[in-house]
Amino acid sequence: MTGRVFDIQRFSVHDGPGIRTTVFLKGCPLNCAWCHNPEGIRAGPELSFDREKCLACGECVRACPMAAHSLQTDGKGLAHVLDRGRCEVRGECVSVCCSDSLEIVGRSLSVEEVMREVMADRVFYRQAGGGLTISGGEPLMQAEFTAALLVAAKKEGLHCCVETSGFGGWEALCRMLPLTDLFLFDWKVTEPVEHERHTGQSNTIIARNLRELYARGARIRLQCPLIPGINDNEGHYEGIEALLESMPNLDGISILPYHPLGTAKLERLGRPPAFAASTTSAIRQSARFLAGRLARRGFRVVGTEGDRQEGGQRRAEDGVPRREGIKSDF
Amino acid sequence: MSTTAVETELSYEERLRLLRGMKLAQTREKQRIRGTMDFDDHGIILPPEDLRETVKTISGSGVHFTDVILKNFRPRPNHQNGGYYGPAACGRNFRSLLEVHPAYIDPMSSLAGAYMVNFMSYRRAHWKPEFDREELMAQHERYHIVPAIGAVQHLCQDLAIGLRLGWGGLLEKVRHFRAINVAAAEFYEGLEQVVLGTQDWIRRHAREARRKAQEHGPMAQNLLEIAEINEHLISGAPRTFREACQWILWDLLISRMYNGSGALGRADVLLEPYYRADVGAGRLTDEEAVFHIACMLLRDTPYFQLGGPDASGRDVTGSVSFLVLEAAHRLRTPVNVGVCVGEGVDEGLLRRGVEMLVEDRCGTPKFLGVDNTIRGFVRNGFSVELARERAYSGCQWSALPGREYAIQDIIKINLAKVLDVALREMLADGDVRPCVAELWDRFERHLGEAVAITAAGIDFQYEHMHEVFPELPLDLLCHGPIERGLDASHGGVEYYTFGVDGAGLATTADSFASIEERVEKEGRVSWAQLLEGLESNWAGPEGERVRRLMGGAAKYGAGGTTGDEWAKRIAGAFTREVKEKRTPNGHMMLPGLFSWALAVLMGKKLGATPNGRRAGEPISHGANPNPGCRKDGAPTAIAVAVAEVQPGYGNTAPLQLDLDPCTQNSAQDIVNVMGLIRGHFDLGGTQINANIVDREQILEASEDPGRFPELVVRVTGFSAYFSSLSPELRRFVVDRVICEKGAGA
Repeated sequence: MTGRVFDIQRFSVHDGPGIRTTVFLKGCPLNCAWCHNPEGIRAGPELSFDREKCLACGECVRACPMAAHSLQTDGKGLAHVLDRGRCEVRGECVSVCCSDSLEIVGRSLSVEEVMREVMADRVFYRQAGGGLTISGGEPLMQAEFTAALLVAAKKEGLHCCVETSGFGGWEALCRMLPLTDLFLFDWKVTEPVEHERHTGQSNTIIARNLRELYARGARIRLQCPLIPGINDNEGHYEGIEALLESMPNLDGISILPYHPLGTAKLERLGRPPAFAASTTSAIRQSARFLAGRLARRGFRVVGTEGDRQEGGQRRAEDGVPRREGIKSDF
Repeated sequence: MSTTAVETELSYEERLRLLRGMKLAQTREKQRIRGTMDFDDHGIILPPEDLRETVKTISGSGVHFTDVILKNFRPRPNHQNGGYYGPAACGRNFRSLLEVHPAYIDPMSSLAGAYMVNFMSYRRAHWKPEFDREELMAQHERYHIVPAIGAVQHLCQDLAIGLRLGWGGLLEKVRHFRAINVAAAEFYEGLEQVVLGTQDWIRRHAREARRKAQEHGPMAQNLLEIAEINEHLISGAPRTFREACQWILWDLLISRMYNGSGALGRADVLLEPYYRADVGAGRLTDEEAVFHIACMLLRDTPYFQLGGPDASGRDVTGSVSFLVLEAAHRLRTPVNVGVCVGEGVDEGLLRRGVEMLVEDRCGTPKFLGVDNTIRGFVRNGFSVELARERAYSGCQWSALPGREYAIQDIIKINLAKVLDVALREMLADGDVRPCVAELWDRFERHLGEAVAITAAGIDFQYEHMHEVFPELPLDLLCHGPIERGLDASHGGVEYYTFGVDGAGLATTADSFASIEERVEKEGRVSWAQLLEGLESNWAGPEGERVRRLMGGAAKYGAGGTTGDEWAKRIAGAFTREVKEKRTPNGHMMLPGLFSWALAVLMGKKLGATPNGRRAGEPISHGANPNPGCRKDGAPTAIAVAVAEVQPGYGNTAPLQLDLDPCTQNSAQDIVNVMGLIRGHFDLGGTQINANIVDREQILEASEDPGRFPELVVRVTGFSAYFSSLSPELRRFVVDRVICEKGAGA
């Protein structure tokens, strides 16, 4: 059993509790313009080209049977030109590239291969209460592989999270249910038509899957990306509140403010930037506002990424925990 | 130079704020006058302006730097080259220096004293020419070995001796044995001069405190207390917690001034009885205790251990262990305290340490994997009881307080230079076909030669150093030197376990991996192309192409790669060579993997290396993989890698961690960092030096360090103000922090 994986990230501390390893599966049925992992959208392997690293040495030109690479003179000298129309993602160019500027994103890996990497950090999972997170792309697109990976991880006693958009067949989710300790379930846009406009799909199936999972007692944490001009509006905030009201036993909610990491990746994949926000400080503020509002209403808000910018400041809630016997403070 | 007096009763918080402000101003002035300082911050302050003289010198750890000395002191030479050598001359000169060294009283502090000068900076000719070392030094140079020869300090004294006897008791002890052991009169003369000089210095501080009490209305009471305490401490042993802090500070100041020593050992164990007695008698509050400790740590940055097992295995973590952490937390200045992590050690100590690491962002504390260092030391044939008494005392090292001479963290063999010698020799040999197996054979042979030369250097040091520049202040607080009339460097103490460190592990491992993959297996680079690249420093477009190819091979630290295998093989061979050999005179050597800040200096003199490193760039840091060894930069992967290369004989191969600021709720951050630390020690790790660094902030600080005067980083085993470091060392830290993040980051 093999799956299409585009990255495995160890010491992942944002994708569930504790120290985790996140396995990113390639392929997603949605097409969100703001996606920060755009290399996870298409199912097949893709050629990534990082112009900054390229030396224009010409090795790839000689290696490529499809003549997708060429060197052309521009004002400053030789420059590498990639004709993606000719590229069949065969990889000859990658194996001769000396500068790591060419890379194939997406490899076929067996469950055993993935587990070997995952288990390298088992001692840290035990110490910090972490485990495996399967993310993407969309794990539901590779339901068989996801389930097999979960079975293997459970056999090793690992805590398992599945990060999902919720868009997929119920049977697939249902298979994961008994193997998953925590679902990190996206809730992107409340209004179905808007959802379809921004992601390519309506959220009707997503909402149904969410309710069904909840009804069956799954542990679920909602993840709400906050995107400037897309969903940072009162309608969506109220939608989130209504959702939380209707599911009091949710594990919590995370507000994830937009960050532009996906833009550079898109460029390397030869795709035009799909979304641009000139600044991210406003959206981080909105995220803090929303997180605060939800917390005041009694919902459990889990680590808002916008807090990152506050680093180094003393946080008001941080007391100075001491051992018994140290009585006074200045 | 003292903080401005104010006309109201000041809280401890306010006094500490003023003291910190003064420290910052003093640091800025130091930066302005001395320029960059690529070593510990120390608590040294500049002499008054009219007494300053600037000199180029070399630190106790071997770093060249600009220093400021007192111009009203000139040492009296006892050699025609203008130098002064041997215990009597060193002791007398040191006493003369102390006699003119200004007294320093800050009315805000509860303790007297600060040091303004390094005695070593007056040594113009460091080595006594009668002991010819030229040939040995040339042999060391062949492998870029930092030799034992000329090393000072890097042993831990036992402060318990001094706290029990006081300076008066120490003087009596010296005189008692001087009368018996007349043959060692020179040595005792040196010791006596150190004690007399110290007593005089303390006496002058007491007087100065009384004088200042007349001027400082609000702080007069404090100044009178300082005067009384120090009048007693001229001869008497400390009776209270505050007196004990003051006594330790005097010892730190004179040993730091004499030759740079900053080894404190187990501060919490030493101070706990005074704390209990004072609290029991209603003389001391926790608030006061924290303040006294903070005042001590402001004036020097010693290395010491908190918690951990005593000889019987019982954890010694006590109230003072936590008070010391609290003092460091409130100071947020460079502090070199190590927290023990191990079975049976109070979990609260680790938790509080991690909270501080995350919240304070000062790289404090460090974490000590005591179970593994104890187990390792036992493997040398020592008892477990003895092994448990080894205390953390320097950048990456531990020692038996007062009983072990090991000059750890001095002796370094640059493994990358050993490879360079082996590689060039092979490629110049027309009789062999170059291959990786042949290269490895030659590497092992040259490594053996490098260790043999190092061993000869150790014996030479043992033979002569006591006649050059003996350890005097440290001798006073060791078990044996006074009794035997022998310097610690020359048979005075019980245990001689010379620490020999391998440096540049990742540079060497990645080089072997690159050669194996690119040259031997893939044939994409020829041996001739490699040699051309190394000789030309990868010149021209073709050179750059080859450099990138060589640099792109799978690296040590990525996990399960050729580079990882080479790192284990090289660390194993190094450990074997050091452990299996003794010095010609039979001394034991203990292997470790650490480069200290010397990674930058060693890199400067090393040509290009086969891993694509350019000539002059730093070699890899300690036992750590090269930055960027993995796309995700996962600290867990680095922690696993470093755990797998541990030499395992009680000396360390520290893990350097530079973590991004955590972004989840703080409770989970703490659990994660604790898990990372415990996990590394579960896998066999021995020590962790960690920073929580904001990438953007460190980049900005690198551009304009003056904007971040309070930014403290753990550079390697030591911590320092980022703005005090040279551009090269700043770059070195920044390069470590800036690793590419992969998907989903």
